[in-house]
Amino acid sequence: MSSSGASDGRTSAASGSLVIPGDKISSDTSDRLGHGVMKLNGEMIATKLGYVVVKAGEISITPIHTAYFPRPGDLVIAYIEGMRSNIWFIDLNAPFNAILPMSLAPMKIDYGGTRDAMNVGTTILCRVQEVDEAHSSVVTMKGMGLRKVNSGFVDTIPPHLVSTISSGTNAIINQLKDASNCRIILGANGRIWVDGEPEGIRLVRNALAFVRDNEHSTDLAGAFTGHLANGNGE
Amino acid sequence: MAQPLVPELLRAHLAELASRDQRADGRGRWEGRELSLEVGVLDRAEGSARVRMGDTIVFCGVKFQIQTPYPDRPNEGGIMTSAELRPGAGRHIEPGPPSPESIEMSRVVDRGIRESGCIDTKDLCIIPGEKVWQVIIDCFAISDDGNLFDAFGLAAIAALHNATLPGERFDIGEDRKFPVNKTPIMCSYQKVGGRFVYDSNREEEVGGDERIHITLGEGDHVHSLQKGLKGVFTASEFVEIMEAAKVRCAELRKLVDSM
Amino acid sequence: MGYGDVQMIDENGNRVDGRKAGDIRPIEIELGVVPVADGSASMRWGTNYVIASVYGPMEAHPRKIQRQERAVLDVRYNMAPFSTTDRFRPGFNRRSREISKVTSDALESVVLLELYPRSKIRVEIEVICAEAGTRCVGLTAASLALADAGIPMTDMVVSVASGKINGIVVCDLNKEEDNYGAADLPMGVLPNTGELVFLQMDGDLSPSEFQEAWDYNMEAALKIHVIMKEAIANKYGGGQ
Repeated sequence: MSSSGASDGRTSAASGSLVIPGDKISSDTSDRLGHGVMKLNGEMIATKLGYVVVKAGEISITPIHTAYFPRPGDLVIAYIEGMRSNIWFIDLNAPFNAILPMSLAPMKIDYGGTRDAMNVGTTILCRVQEVDEAHSSVVTMKGMGLRKVNSGFVDTIPPHLVSTISSGTNAIINQLKDASNCRIILGANGRIWVDGEPEGIRLVRNALAFVRDNEHSTDLAGAFTGHLANGNGE
Repeated sequence: MAQPLVPELLRAHLAELASRDQRADGRGRWEGRELSLEVGVLDRAEGSARVRMGDTIVFCGVKFQIQTPYPDRPNEGGIMTSAELRPGAGRHIEPGPPSPESIEMSRVVDRGIRESGCIDTKDLCIIPGEKVWQVIIDCFAISDDGNLFDAFGLAAIAALHNATLPGERFDIGEDRKFPVNKTPIMCSYQKVGGRFVYDSNREEEVGGDERIHITLGEGDHVHSLQKGLKGVFTASEFVEIMEAAKVRCAELRKLVDSM
Repeated sequence: MGYGDVQMIDENGNRVDGRKAGDIRPIEIELGVVPVADGSASMRWGTNYVIASVYGPMEAHPRKIQRQERAVLDVRYNMAPFSTTDRFRPGFNRRSREISKVTSDALESVVLLELYPRSKIRVEIEVICAEAGTRCVGLTAASLALADAGIPMTDMVVSVASGKINGIVVCDLNKEEDNYGAADLPMGVLPNTGELVFLQMDGDLSPSEFQEAWDYNMEAALKIHVIMKEAIANKYGGGQ
């Protein structure tokens, strides 16, 4: 682990080390700039608080905390927060709003029929169709498995943990499905829909609380297995 | 405060849990969240406390000023209570003038302290007809994860018990302990998923319905009551809540008196 | 007795609180102190105690404050009623408004706002206990809270004020020195480049005194930057 010196100017940061905004990562700017890294005064610096990742000619930062940026194709769990006669306004757990036009609804709707079809507070499974330069998105509910959700519960994890809990051979999301016997859908926006027996839902919620509290540990999947084995904090 | 978006699923889930006598975070119906109380935490206040209930964190500072008494009450000082919902305490708290919720909260906390008689305004007299103390109780939210009412109430009475009259700073005499002769405790109950529970967290607050705030003193004396938000409750529901409040208020009173 | 007559530094160079001319007050930093916020930090600096919390990026409401090409920073500096010896009356306060604005201007110089067009980032600075230099503590704590929230910035911001007492230039004024001193020079520094994002000055400094105070602030900024990194490493671990 290395940390940037202060009085002697910046020094390079090794892969895996923790960096804060402004820390110099490298004077060699031939690598590609990934997430959380920028070129400033001829050097590569970190712009986010997080861990340096060096992979295949690209340097990036795994941030401590990040907001969800919608990308086309993302499956997300969302809430309806408002409507007009021909569109719904969608809460994606993102900094930017999204809309669902009448033409992309899962059911046939007449102009003015939006409120009757899906009211404020409805939970939906939808897919991000397109995103403009200002990060506003259009979502669609036309597609396999996209629908209104009528049962179960939606919990949230920080969006940057989505790939962490779904990757690896002993992926946390799979451990969770097995242990809880619940249907679980993980949205790219950090929302997780869980449906099943109340005991199963409770197990999942407790387990997700553990994930949130321990997100910075070095082997989260392993720690998670141990946590489940120890009774999931019950 | 911005009106929160209440997902239908949340209310359905809370109702499902309630029907099984469960709460989302595994607590019992009358069980409070993890609680910590510290006093004497603010250097510039004459009395202070910090309360943490789950992820709800508040400060309370007690300060004294000198004022002239009202002509019709020449031997009595004044009490002023404020409860600020700071925008830093939650995404849902919008900056600007106090919201109706914020004002209600201030008044409920004030009532709990004032009506209990834990402060005898005659104790605040310095020179009859000329100079009296005004005690100002400022409650301040740092993090709102639900049930600010109880956190403010507890912090306020703990800060009062911690307070010292600053005679020296105002050239009136020696500093001495501020006399507080009771320990009124507020407990709040909210209807969540169709039944009343104690110490609702923010999720339960958003998905829940009406609230009842009860302030009790020693011997289970009732000092103040307030019902908040829309909804109805029955006499038997109230009796149930009152029984739970008697137990919890006694526990919290013991904690405050031990500081 | 004129203000210049108050003796605040003795012949051995010891200040009222025991510090030497170039010393900073003790500092303690904690991150994540507001559990419900997207990012937060507390700073104890001398007897100052400030909590900064950050929410966002989020949709900018009302629409009229939105900017098409970048985020807006919505910064609020506020003093708690119990933060000062005489109770501080809550409500509109011109000084707080001014500090909110200069803090916002300083932070806008480092936050990569173009990454979040049409959105808003809220920065809430609460002074819980005040002891000279609260605007500096607030700005520094705000940059920590922004980092804790994962908001991208080109550098951290470290802010500190130096001044002059009994004819001697000193670093990081305490309460008496701020009240009875002859000058106050607060600066907001980017520790990696030495660039400034915040600068004010009151009082009377000769050109060489000004340079001394400036240098004290720059040195202090580097020292405080190290303290910041240690606090962050304590919370998040040194590496993975």
